[in-house]
Amino acid sequence: MRALDRGFRWLLGQRGVRKLLRDRVALVALAVISVYVGIAALILFFDVITLDETTERVGPRTMPGVWESPSLESRLAFAELYLETVQNALDKRSPEKALAEVRFAELELAALSIDERQALLDEGWDLFDELDELDDLDAAAERDPGVLAKLSRFEETAARLYRRPTGCAALKYRARLLLGTDRQGRSILVRSIYSIKVATQIGVVAALISVLIGTLLGGAAAFFGGWVDHLVVWLYSTFSSIPWIVLLTVLASMFMGSRFDGGLVPVYSAFCLSFWIAPCRVIRGEVLKLKELEFVQAATAIGFGRARILLKHVLPNTAHLMFINFSLLFIGAIKAEVILSFLGLGVKNEPSWGVMINHSREEVINHFFWQIGSATFFMVVLVLAFNVLSDALQDAFDPKHVG
Amino acid sequence: MWSYIVRRLLYNVPVYLGIILVLMLALRVNDPVWARLGKSASPEAYQAFKEQMGLAEPFWRQYLTFLGKVFAFDLSDESWEHTGVSVGGLLRVSFPPTLAITVPALLLTSLISISVGLVSSFFRGRWLDRALMFAAVLGMSVSFLVYIVFGQYWGAYALNEHIEGELFAVAGYEPGPGNWVTYCMLPVLISTIVAMGYDTRFYRAVMVEECGRDYIVTAMAKGAPKRKIMFVHMLKNAMIPIITRIMITLPFLIMGSFLLEMYFNIPGMGRMLLQAITTADFPVTQGFVAVFALVFILTNVLTDVLYALVDPRVRLA
Repeated sequence: MRALDRGFRWLLGQRGVRKLLRDRVALVALAVISVYVGIAALILFFDVITLDETTERVGPRTMPGVWESPSLESRLAFAELYLETVQNALDKRSPEKALAEVRFAELELAALSIDERQALLDEGWDLFDELDELDDLDAAAERDPGVLAKLSRFEETAARLYRRPTGCAALKYRARLLLGTDRQGRSILVRSIYSIKVATQIGVVAALISVLIGTLLGGAAAFFGGWVDHLVVWLYSTFSSIPWIVLLTVLASMFMGSRFDGGLVPVYSAFCLSFWIAPCRVIRGEVLKLKELEFVQAATAIGFGRARILLKHVLPNTAHLMFINFSLLFIGAIKAEVILSFLGLGVKNEPSWGVMINHSREEVINHFFWQIGSATFFMVVLVLAFNVLSDALQDAFDPKHVG
Repeated sequence: MWSYIVRRLLYNVPVYLGIILVLMLALRVNDPVWARLGKSASPEAYQAFKEQMGLAEPFWRQYLTFLGKVFAFDLSDESWEHTGVSVGGLLRVSFPPTLAITVPALLLTSLISISVGLVSSFFRGRWLDRALMFAAVLGMSVSFLVYIVFGQYWGAYALNEHIEGELFAVAGYEPGPGNWVTYCMLPVLISTIVAMGYDTRFYRAVMVEECGRDYIVTAMAKGAPKRKIMFVHMLKNAMIPIITRIMITLPFLIMGSFLLEMYFNIPGMGRMLLQAITTADFPVTQGFVAVFALVFILTNVLTDVLYALVDPRVRLA
């Protein structure tokens, strides 16, 4: 506890930290990032949203979110889906067993006998057939107000098959349909939120490892000089001379067909191998300056080893650069993930913003913007917060930096 | 000056050797022959194909052979996917479309962002500056892909429906300058909008920094008009970072052209390379990657030379 307290005091004593804390916009950004990381941790460690829930069907295809009243077509499709689910279960060889297993997006079946159910279904299908015959529902509704009444009666019939959810379940049911559904009837909101976990995971792992590799290589290059320096400089000029996207695609395609295909390992390795260059270059420059300072001479005079001076005395003085680079690489990783997913080389087994934006391409042509809008919104908030934070970090700790 | 150019070129030779080494190794991690023939191929067919393609030889020999080919500009290897077409042939076909997007995009991006940067630093601290910079940060936070999807929807699809004609094509490519506006204008505009967020911020920072220098204070003290100071004195001195930046944007443009080519069905180099990767077309992948790296290094050298032209002190370093 005391160590923690001392740590806090030390942190608050730093001029840069005080400067950062005075920046209100940066604090808001920090709060936003904390919320995102918190959600990611909840999903990762406590399974608040499971992977199955992101692929579960909760409604008809491409249903709009709450702010847009659904078209008559999609209302019809929605109620039909409810009927169909029950009908399918009834048509099974052992209806009782199949019915017991029906759980449609938090909705449970109402306690009805098989005959009652069948009666409701027949009534529903009759209404459906009448409505389905009209090929343009909107035009028909304009001509004849009876169509609208028929549609709401059909919806009511479908609803009577299910028990109205109450309390928590009702909230959950509503929440899932809040931002509509994608082309496979999956909840857009659930998928967007689950993507926070994927994005955070990729961002943290890729940025952390890249910064570590970059710091160690850059620090060693500058501090030891000689052939180490030549080697590291050659290595980073080599890697930075391959166009970034070529390197990324080649590295990601290395795993095609292997047992890691589709998981996060190809993404991680592609990012780490292409991202370490920026921190390496920056920290090499900083250590070149630092190693001429008196405290290094003092440490040498006391007789500390070279490696110890580098790790314990020089590198901690580059911590601010590590933070700035971490923040920048985090953004880079999230944005690059979208691009990799688009090229078909990114995340495959899980939903991610990239996958969602990629899937929404066909929907946009049909004027459906909920999926791309939702994924973009969730992503922009996080990336914007990180952009603001990076700027504030740079202002607070590295004011001379340009750009 | 010439000795400087030669020095820069020589310096980049080991770098290029390294690039080829890294890429050749990376391309062999996932056995290209297996990827091509599929898991069901018989071991004999596998072995025969491997030997025929020279992939059975030890790695160092493959490396030297490939290097020899690259330095002799010999790109006559046949593509595994398109029979009878050489890598060089594919390159010749796909080079012009890429150029038709990247060069205009580079010019347009630089021109607009430098102007916006100038305006922003001219009104430094006032609402226009703040609004512009907030827009830039916001623009940076949106994914490239979102710009492309919406750009295609509103710029081509919805617009064409609205004007009942075709100003910009939804996708596709036809060669020839007459078709440029139809097929390339929209990708160029999208790429410009995406790059602007990063560039304007950089140019503004450069110009704001330059504003604090002594020569500006001197000019102000002499009573020179502010406009003249900004556009004549400062812009000239800000040229070094500007040139560097323009060159640094190049890789970004290459990436942009990759995505735009994929999305708008433009048969450029990026699309060709990605198709080669997905169809396990090994010679094309290897050849294209080598060419990409070469172009990249040459632009790096060009940057250094331009830099030295503007600032003679660099030549001595």
